[in-house]
Amino acid sequence: MPGTPGAAALDPRTKLVLLLLANLMLFLHAGAATQAIMTALFLLPLVAAGRRRMATRFAALYTVLAVAAMLDPESLGAPWLHVIPALAVGLGMMLPCLITGAYAVSTTTASAFVCAMRRMRVPESVVVPCVVVIRFFPTIAGDYRRIRETMALRGLVSGRFAALRHPMRMLEHVLVPLLMNAAFVAQDLSVAALTKGLGRSGVHTSRTTIRMRAVDWLFMLACAAPLALDTAGVIG
Amino acid sequence: MSVVDPVRVHGVSFRYANAAGAALHDVSLGVRAGECVVLCGASGCGKTTLTRVVNGLAPAFFHGDLDGSAVTCGVDAARGPVDRLTPLAGSVFQNPKTQYFNANTTDELAFPCENMGMPADEIGRRVADVARRFDVTGLLDRDAFRLSGGQRQRIAVAAATVLGPRLVVMDEPTGNLDAAAVDDMRRAVIRLKAEGVAVLIAEHRLAWLNGVADRYVLCERGRITREWDAGEFLAMPAGRVADLGLRATDLGPARSRVARLKASAPAVGGADDGALLRTEGLVVGYGGRSRRASPLRRRGRGERRDAFRRAIPDMALRRGEIVGLMGRNGAGKTTLVRTLTGLSRPLSGRILLDGAPARARGLMRVGFLVMQDVNQQLFADSVRGELSLGMDPSDGDLAARRERLLDDLDLADVADRHPMSLSGGQKQRVAIGSALMCGKGLIVLDEPTSGLDRPRMERVGALLRDLARRGAAVLVVTHDEELAAGWCDRVIGMSS
Repeated sequence: MPGTPGAAALDPRTKLVLLLLANLMLFLHAGAATQAIMTALFLLPLVAAGRRRMATRFAALYTVLAVAAMLDPESLGAPWLHVIPALAVGLGMMLPCLITGAYAVSTTTASAFVCAMRRMRVPESVVVPCVVVIRFFPTIAGDYRRIRETMALRGLVSGRFAALRHPMRMLEHVLVPLLMNAAFVAQDLSVAALTKGLGRSGVHTSRTTIRMRAVDWLFMLACAAPLALDTAGVIG
Repeated sequence: MSVVDPVRVHGVSFRYANAAGAALHDVSLGVRAGECVVLCGASGCGKTTLTRVVNGLAPAFFHGDLDGSAVTCGVDAARGPVDRLTPLAGSVFQNPKTQYFNANTTDELAFPCENMGMPADEIGRRVADVARRFDVTGLLDRDAFRLSGGQRQRIAVAAATVLGPRLVVMDEPTGNLDAAAVDDMRRAVIRLKAEGVAVLIAEHRLAWLNGVADRYVLCERGRITREWDAGEFLAMPAGRVADLGLRATDLGPARSRVARLKASAPAVGGADDGALLRTEGLVVGYGGRSRRASPLRRRGRGERRDAFRRAIPDMALRRGEIVGLMGRNGAGKTTLVRTLTGLSRPLSGRILLDGAPARARGLMRVGFLVMQDVNQQLFADSVRGELSLGMDPSDGDLAARRERLLDDLDLADVADRHPMSLSGGQKQRVAIGSALMCGKGLIVLDEPTSGLDRPRMERVGALLRDLARRGAAVLVVTHDEELAAGWCDRVIGMSS
């Protein structure tokens, strides 16, 4: 039920803080132990929100990356294999950002996001474009599917590895109609939103109530602590 | 015209920025409280522009020069931001996919109230009230992306009405709807009138407004040329209505012809009767867990994507024949044509191509689907390039075939233009041309006449006939009874 978030749901603002923490961790090059602890913490709200499958996949991916990062090519006598641990370390550092991003996007409604942004006193000139972008995602997914289908019917580029075999052609064929269509959709959406008063000056309220609760503050602290300790040199 | 009339347009001329000619010349129109006025006329006659002047979108959003006076609900619509009109005039647009802003239907109804700054408890009260009045209580708190076009349009009307406006402006609200959904729209307009709301509708489909509309206004080349009250208009003979370029006001003859075409559908012959494509015990659908989780789509724990399956009575499609596929939204028409063109796999049963069982890849080679949104089917930077895209340029015959096809499809004049700069009908012909160039034997069209006026609808019909004459099997998915009655050789009805 929108408007009445379940006990497990975090406030959208908390989600943004988590995303920020994940990015900070990437920026500060946190140690492996901190990274592992934080990743585990970030997976908890996903599980709590019922996205167990997503959480399991992220966890599995992280484990694979962590193991691959420990690979020692020298001892295997194949120095060129260095590329694998290097990639694994890089991806491992980015994964927490992906996890928190996926959590924020997949568990928050557009109206809750808008409400959160307004509470944080973000100016309307930022809120409105953000709403439009959020509204766009599902449209683009559908458009992309239909464009690929037409390409298959016309025998243009199709098949599982088409994007790898003809990357430029693929890009052009997909991007041109996607952008053209986006322009039409953007106009329709703007018109509909304008007549409904999205751009009105004055106070905008929200049906969706969002509230920072104890669990939000606690979880934020729990996630910030390892990073702080890492930076202070206690762990890492 | 009284001072309090919701719509008072006087001597308005409007020219879009960057356009050569004026879209409206010296137009005057009034709509009284509780009155329903229908703007009719060919595409491009200015009726959409007039609705935009009334709801303030032109010139505030669609820039241009406006002369004359347009006063909507006492507010000068030609000056100032559009949103001054938000609480006074609601708007409903043609495309159900792009006019709602929230993924959740209740959020969509609450959206105008939120923008007006109402407290949460009043928003709740208003949403519940408007949902009850427009009979959409059962659609509350649903994912708008999974509603049918008709359901979305009912939400759109409720959202346009939630602030209690004095006027509702509709621009082709039934463009994409099936007959039952059109009936729902009719009920909504009756409700609005009963509540004293003025309703201004720009529309091609006219029959659903019989008994609802009070006045009909004909636009031609940016001018209002005729006006009738409902009695006079409905008394006009069908031939006279057709001469004006308008869709039928009485769908009775078209409906009975469609019924005959459905009844006369021949029994499916043996395997060797020369049919291009035939189905045997086909079951189409989809089901199971969705692997594509899209953002902002709430899905509960372990919830499954709605599974769907539909058994299809055996059918055959022959070369040279136009077959209509009709039925309610959600009856599985789209899934069926996707299966016939190889884009989806059948759940069971088989599809025979020239008598031999075919797999998806084979069907994909033979069939082509002209989608409702043709914009997604055009890739090249010129019409000529589009037709020969992806083909072997060393084929000497190619250029000759392409030029012949450009002529046949009446595209020679625009051969060097960018496909996206063309009109809807031209884009449709380019997409069909690209299919013919690939040598497709089965051309499937999904709602090719939605939102088209009579002359354009008839042109699509003639194009279908031409395709059939060239030896293609043509299958057209449509809600348009006039198209089906006029041009289909057979109609397959799908019930849900």
